[in-house]
Amino acid sequence: MKRRQLYTGVVALAASGVVFVLPFLFIFITAAKTKQDAASLRFSLPVEWRLWENFIEVLQARNYMLLLAYFNSTVITVVAVTLLVLFGAMVGYVLQRRPSRWNTVIYGCVLAGLMIPPAVVPTIWVLQSLGLFKSISGMILIQVAYGLAFTVLLFRSFIATIPRDLDEAAIIDGAKPLQIFFRVVLPLLKPVTVTVIVVQSIAIFNDFTNPLYYLPGRENVTVQLTLYNFQGQFQTQFNLLFMNILLVTIPPLIVFVFFNRQIVAGMTAGAVKG
Amino acid sequence: MTSVVLDNVRKSFGSLDVMKGVDLTIDAGEFCVFVGPSGCGKSTLLRIISGLETSSSGKVFIDGKDVTDAEPSQRGIAMVFQSYALYPHLTVAENIGFGLSLAKRPKAEIAEKVKQTADILQLSHLLDRKPKALSGGQRQRVAIGRAIIRNPKVFLFDEPLSNLDASLRAQMRMELTELHAKLGATMIYVTHDQVEAMTMADKIVVLNGGTIEQVGTPMALYNNPATPFVAGFIGSPKMNLFEGEAAKRESCKTYGIRPEHISLSTTDGKWHGVVRHIERLGADTVVHLDLPELPSLVVRTEGDRSISVGQTLFASPFKSKEHRFS
Repeated sequence: MKRRQLYTGVVALAASGVVFVLPFLFIFITAAKTKQDAASLRFSLPVEWRLWENFIEVLQARNYMLLLAYFNSTVITVVAVTLLVLFGAMVGYVLQRRPSRWNTVIYGCVLAGLMIPPAVVPTIWVLQSLGLFKSISGMILIQVAYGLAFTVLLFRSFIATIPRDLDEAAIIDGAKPLQIFFRVVLPLLKPVTVTVIVVQSIAIFNDFTNPLYYLPGRENVTVQLTLYNFQGQFQTQFNLLFMNILLVTIPPLIVFVFFNRQIVAGMTAGAVKG
Repeated sequence: MTSVVLDNVRKSFGSLDVMKGVDLTIDAGEFCVFVGPSGCGKSTLLRIISGLETSSSGKVFIDGKDVTDAEPSQRGIAMVFQSYALYPHLTVAENIGFGLSLAKRPKAEIAEKVKQTADILQLSHLLDRKPKALSGGQRQRVAIGRAIIRNPKVFLFDEPLSNLDASLRAQMRMELTELHAKLGATMIYVTHDQVEAMTMADKIVVLNGGTIEQVGTPMALYNNPATPFVAGFIGSPKMNLFEGEAAKRESCKTYGIRPEHISLSTTDGKWHGVVRHIERLGADTVVHLDLPELPSLVVRTEGDRSISVGQTLFASPFKSKEHRFS
């Protein structure tokens, strides 16, 4: 039994190594190669380590476009996630705490938001008629709309675990509905809020297709779109492309490493009574 | 002077009538206990007084003012919940001062009042702790502190001791009674435990099925229960209640006699029966007798009496202590 456990453990480790670690290593060593060396796309150590030079070159490419992209992506991510947490928690709170005939309708809308696939062209029409197409704020609203359904469900199930007595104690203490929400309920949502922040900020930061559709324009570039800088119709600079991938991967990685434990805590909290 | 007046208060959830017209007057400074079995509407009545629940019809007056439509915070009440309902993310001091900080009072005033309250409840050394680092009794005291600091006209307690263990409960009963004497405020206390009702109350309100069965002092309810329900609910062990043939022989609909008002004898008595079960409590012994013509009879007798199961005994009620309900 023990030996068998050892074997399965080794096999599982090897499999996850192949799936997760090898690609990352490949990115790293290719990012350190020269242009010619990288073009062969072989899994070998670089002939000449050019990590720093490649880094500078990627940074300076197209007039420091990567920095602008970092700025844009950060603005979109931070604002969108803030709105998601705020609205998700509020909708979840009202859905859970105030039963009314409208709840079924709202709940139906939330589920529809999860089930109905987004249509790109009509969305662009709407954005154009609102004057939000090609704008950062339009992009933020789209990310909020895409993420809200899942966020509401997550918050709603978590709020169900907060005893109603707390709301009532606050009412007796003289709290208005908004005060109950911000001073009693929201602080208690911390575990699930961390989950939402991590999951959504990584999803939004790493989003490639939505900025591609809804946010064209050189000044609107987001980090994932900078990958196009080094990938042309006739030639691709693989060393710089992979250096770019490496740089773009680092922020979500840091977030994940720090919040790893809380994510799981928030995901399972409310599933079982603790 | 009256403090709380309920005027024909009714409450229904859909087609279910929970409160069926309750009229009640509670005097200022009184310790009033609502007691009754689960689902009798005692907590609903308390929540109607607090304003957390609205009555379907009828009026609620607190301190002479009609508060039927007033917000809970406008009623001059404070409430202690069964689950304590402490805010888990705030310290003890912040929990106690929460109401004042909502009212945007100056920090120094809040700190001063929190300190005073903590002194009354011996919580001063715990002010920086979070609720999860407190014991059950300490949490209870914090919940009471949160009520005291509001300086309310009426305190409402919703089964506050039911989460505590037996010895702590006895201690908290005493502390609450002392607190009542110290503050002199009106207190309304909901419990299903008749011991709490008897030991703490100035006035007991016995509720059953959404109506008031009887209102009175503990001893009045014990000595002169108005209905068989009250008779059975107040006092432990329960009063022996006989219906049907046995009651008819006593020329009433229900005949009641308390276990402590029956004398046992080995030679003669009104009833005779076989001992089925004996509970030794130390100071007292509770004897369960099987009677041929009646349902079983419970008798409370002195602790050191030698009785054995299967023995035949005679029992006689004290004449002046019999209860006949028609």
